[in-house]
Amino acid sequence: MNISGILVIVAPENVDSTVETLNKLDGIDVHHIEQSSGRIIITQEAESVHDEIDGLKRIRELPGIVLAEMSYHNFEEDTENVSSIPEELDDESLKTDNIPPYLNE
Amino acid sequence: MDLTRRELLKTSAAAATASAVGITIPAAALAKSKEADAGVQWDKAVCRFCGTGCGIMVGTSGGRIVATKGDPDAPVNKGLNCIKGYFNGKILYGKDRLTQPLMRMKNGKFDKNGKFQAVSWDVAFDEMSKQFKKTYQAMGPTGVGVFASGQYTIPEGYTMAKLMKAGFRSNNIDPNARHCMASAVVGFIQTFGIDEPAGNYDDIEHMDAAVTWGANMAECHPILWARVSDRRLSNDNVRLVNLTTCSNQTSDIADTEIVFKPGTDLAIQNYLLREMVKRDAVNHDFVKKHCVFSTGPYDIGYGMRGTDKYAFDAEKDIQAKELRITLDKDEAIAQRRKEGEVVEQKNTKKPVKHWMITFEDFKRGVEPYTLDFVAELSKGDADEDLAAYKAKLVELADLYADPKRKITSFWTMGFNQHYRGSWVNEQIYAIHLLLGKHAQPGNGAFSLTGQPSACGTAREVGTFAHRLPADLVVFNPKHREFSAKLWKVPAKTLNPKVGSHITKIMRDLEDGHIKWAWVQVNNPFQATANANHWIKAARKQDNFLVVSDPYPTVSAKVADLILPTAMIFEKWGMYGNAERRTQAWRQQVAPPGEAMGDVWQGLEFAKRFKLKEVWGEQKVPGLKAKGYDDGKLPDVMAEAQKMGYTPEDTLYDVLFANKENRKVKWPDAVAKGHGNHIAEKLGDGWFPEKALFDEYRQFGVGHQHDLAEFDVYYGDKVRGLKWPVINGKETQWRFNEKYDSYCAKGSGFDFYGKALKKLPSGNLDKPTSKDKTSLAHKAKIFFRPYAAPPEQPDDNYDLWFSTGRVLEHWHTGSMTRRVPELHRAVPTAQLFMNPNDAADRGLQRNDLVWIESRRGKIKALVETQGRNRPPKGYTFAAFFDKGVFVNKVCLDVTCPMSKEEDFKKAAIKVYKA
Repeated sequence: MNISGILVIVAPENVDSTVETLNKLDGIDVHHIEQSSGRIIITQEAESVHDEIDGLKRIRELPGIVLAEMSYHNFEEDTENVSSIPEELDDESLKTDNIPPYLNE
Repeated sequence: MDLTRRELLKTSAAAATASAVGITIPAAALAKSKEADAGVQWDKAVCRFCGTGCGIMVGTSGGRIVATKGDPDAPVNKGLNCIKGYFNGKILYGKDRLTQPLMRMKNGKFDKNGKFQAVSWDVAFDEMSKQFKKTYQAMGPTGVGVFASGQYTIPEGYTMAKLMKAGFRSNNIDPNARHCMASAVVGFIQTFGIDEPAGNYDDIEHMDAAVTWGANMAECHPILWARVSDRRLSNDNVRLVNLTTCSNQTSDIADTEIVFKPGTDLAIQNYLLREMVKRDAVNHDFVKKHCVFSTGPYDIGYGMRGTDKYAFDAEKDIQAKELRITLDKDEAIAQRRKEGEVVEQKNTKKPVKHWMITFEDFKRGVEPYTLDFVAELSKGDADEDLAAYKAKLVELADLYADPKRKITSFWTMGFNQHYRGSWVNEQIYAIHLLLGKHAQPGNGAFSLTGQPSACGTAREVGTFAHRLPADLVVFNPKHREFSAKLWKVPAKTLNPKVGSHITKIMRDLEDGHIKWAWVQVNNPFQATANANHWIKAARKQDNFLVVSDPYPTVSAKVADLILPTAMIFEKWGMYGNAERRTQAWRQQVAPPGEAMGDVWQGLEFAKRFKLKEVWGEQKVPGLKAKGYDDGKLPDVMAEAQKMGYTPEDTLYDVLFANKENRKVKWPDAVAKGHGNHIAEKLGDGWFPEKALFDEYRQFGVGHQHDLAEFDVYYGDKVRGLKWPVINGKETQWRFNEKYDSYCAKGSGFDFYGKALKKLPSGNLDKPTSKDKTSLAHKAKIFFRPYAAPPEQPDDNYDLWFSTGRVLEHWHTGSMTRRVPELHRAVPTAQLFMNPNDAADRGLQRNDLVWIESRRGKIKALVETQGRNRPPKGYTFAAFFDKGVFVNKVCLDVTCPMSKEEDFKKAAIKVYKA
C-alpha cells in the first residue's frame, strides 16, 4: 500500500470542475483547496507505486491541469512483490549475502 | 493496513503536502497528522540524483527509512519532488545490494580469470595494495588511476584527491563529471577566469523569457521546470523558447520550439551575435567597461586518438579527421575559407590558446552568419517550412535584443556533450555579455548540471586531472606551493604534469599506460562512449580494476575486486548544486552487511602506504616543469623528515589522521544522536568528514570561494548556502556589486576571476604580438565559428543517433532500476524514431531492431510515438539500460578543449533484428 500527497494546480476558475473530476477517480481524496491560487491538495492511494505513477500521469492528462507533482510518499507497509526487476536480479537465489549470478556469467 | 491507520496516513500526507506549498489547514487535521508521524524520526537531507539539489526530509523508524517528503523549507524545490526524488528512500533497499567484498579467485587466491568469491576487507585491501605497489614500482604515479565522480560527497572527493595528489603524487584522478559539465567549466574559466554561475535559480522568478538550448528540462530537471512553468503560467508576458534537435516534453509548454540540425547551434549563436551588432542592440557602455573580445585557433581536432593503431577498421575514416579535414560548403562560409580546402589540425595540443581581437574583427567574424545562411544550414526538420523557421529565428533575436526583457538561457548536455562544447558555452556568454544581460536577477546565462555534486565536489574540490581545490591547478607553481603548504607536505611532492582525463584513463588501460584503476561512485564502463574498447581493456590480463559499488553494475562485472559501498543516507555527506549551494546531511541509517562508505575505503587504503614507498624519486614520463628534472619527481623524504615525518609514517597518519584533524572529535554534538559508521569503525576518536571539510574550506576562504564552517550547514534552519559565504551571508548574484562583496567599490560589475587574464593581441586568424595585456576584472566575448560534426549520417550509416536521460531513470540506472516501480514504468530503453523513417525501413512500433554504428551494434525496440518526437533522420535512445548498451555505438569524440565526450552525434543504421 502506497500513499502519496500531491499538489495540483489549475486556473482558479477551474477549481470546482477539477475537484469534481478528481473525486471520481479511484484512490483519490481531495483534502484541501485554496481557491484563490487554484491549488488543490489530494492524496492518492494505490496498490503499488507503479500504479501511483500511472495515477499521477492520469491526473496530469486531465483538462486544465497546470501542474501535478508529488510531495509526500509513505511506503512504510509496502510489502509489494517485486515481479519485474532487471533480469540479472530476477533470481530466486538472490539473497543479500549471495553473489549475484550476473557477476559470474 | 487497517482502515484507521490508512486514513491517518492520508491526513498526514495531505498535511505534509499542504504545508510544503504554504496552504493553511485546519488545526484538527494538523494534530492528526502529527499522530501519524509518531515514531518516525525526520531529518533534513538532499536528493541523491541530479544537479538541481532538491531538499528532502527523510523519515526513519527502527533503523530503516520509511518515508521521504519534499522539504517545505528548501528554497530549491519548495516542498516538491520529481518522480525520482520521490524514491530516494527506496534506492537503498534493492534486493541485490552488495554487502561484502568480492574478488575473482581460483584455488583460494586472486586470479584474473577466476570467479567472484566473498573475501574479508583485509584480504581485499591486501590484494588491492599489492597490485597497486607492483604497478607503482614499475611505472610510477602515471601507471595508476582513479575514476572519480560528480556524485562523491565533498569529504569523499577531498579524501581521494588528497590521497592521489599529495600521497601518490599522481594526477590520474578524473571524474565522470568530465562527461557532464567539463565544457561548461572551460566556458566559465575562459570567459570569467573563475568557475560556476553568476546567477542562481531565483533568476526563474525574475525573468521575462527563458531559452533552453539543448536541455530537456521537463524530463531532466523537472522541479526547476515546474518553477519555469509556474512563472510562464502566472505571467502572460513571459515567453519560453526551446531550442532542440528533437521535439520533446520541454516543447510542450514552450511558446516556440526551434528544431535545429545537430551541431548547428554554433551557427545560430553567431546569427544572434550578428543580429545584435546589426540592430545595434549592443550595450556599448557595459561592453566597454567590463569586456574584451577574443578568439582562438579553429584547427583543434576532435579529441580522438592521434593514431589509428587501436581503431576498429570501420572507425578509421572518422579517426583520420583528428589529423586533417576537408572543409564543407558551410564551414567554408562560416570560417571565411574555400570549400574543399584541406586543413591540417595543427592545434590539437593547444586548443585553449586564445588572444584579444578588436570589436571590428569580431564584427567581421560574425558577418557571414546571415539569416539566410544560418536558417538553411540549421533547420532540423525537413518537413518544416523555411520561411516559418526563419521567422522563429528572428523572434528569438527579438527576445534577446529587447532591452526591456530580462532573459535567462539554460543549457545542459546539448551544449556540453558537443565536439565544440567549450565554444558553444563561450558563445552563450558572448550573447548575454554583448547585451549587458548577465549577473543580474532574471538576466543571465545559467549552466544547469546533471549530477548532485558536479559543482560541489568534482569542480570545487577539484577531483580532475588538472585541478586542485578552489580553482587552483597543478601546472601553476604558485598554486602547488599554496596547496602543499596547506596540506603540510613538502613543496615538490605535488606533480606538475596534468594527468589523464577520464576518456584517456580508458585509453591508457587499453594501450598499457595505466594498469591499476579504482572506480568510485560511478559506472564508467557503461557510461563511456565507444564502450566495446573499454570493456576489453578492463579484462586485459595485466590490468587490475577495483570497483566500489553498492550494486552489481556493468563496471562491477568487469572488475577484479568489488568493494561493497554505503549509499547516500547511510553516511554523512555534503553536496554542492548547480547554483553554488552547499548542502549537508547526517547518516540516517547504518549500511547493510559489511558495506562501508567511500571515505573509509580511501582512509583504510592510505594506511597501507608508508611515506618511503611513495615520496622517493618517481618517474613521470613527459614531465617538464621549472624546478624539476625532466621526466621525474624528486625524492622529498629529506624535507619530509625536516617537517617531522618519518619514512615509516603512513599516508593515513600524515594526510588524514594527523595532529590537527585528530582534534576534531567523534562523537560530536552536531550529530544530534545520529551515528557515523566510518568514525566508529576507524575507532581512533576523530570525525573524518568534519575534520576534512574544515581543512578543505581553507583553500577557498578569502579566495573568492568562501565556504562556511562544517557545523553551519547542519543548523536546523539552514537549507544550504550559496558560496561565497561572507560573514555567514551567502552570495546571490556574483560579479554584481549590489550582491557580491568581492566586487570592487563603484565597479557596478566586476568579473574578478583570476585565470587566463593576460593575453596577447591579434586578428581573427592569429596573434600578432607576443606582449600580453592584463584584462583583470573583465570578461571575454569570444568569436567562435561554426564547425561541422566529424561524424554525420552518410549513405551507409544514414541516421543521427543521440543519447541522454528519461525522467524515470538516472544515469546508468544502477539505482533507479532497483526501484521496481521505476523499472516497470520504463523497463527498457527504446529507440525513438520518426514514423516515416520507420516505415521506410519496413519497421513498426515495438519491432526489435539492430542499431549499428562504426563501433558496434545493439538491439532495441522501436518507439514511434510518445514523449520524444524526432524529426526525419534523427533517433534517440536513453543510456540507463545496460541491456540496450547504447554506449557501444556512441562515438568517443570529445571537445578538444574540455575533453568531454559528444554523446549526441553519432551516425547509425537501423534494421530489423
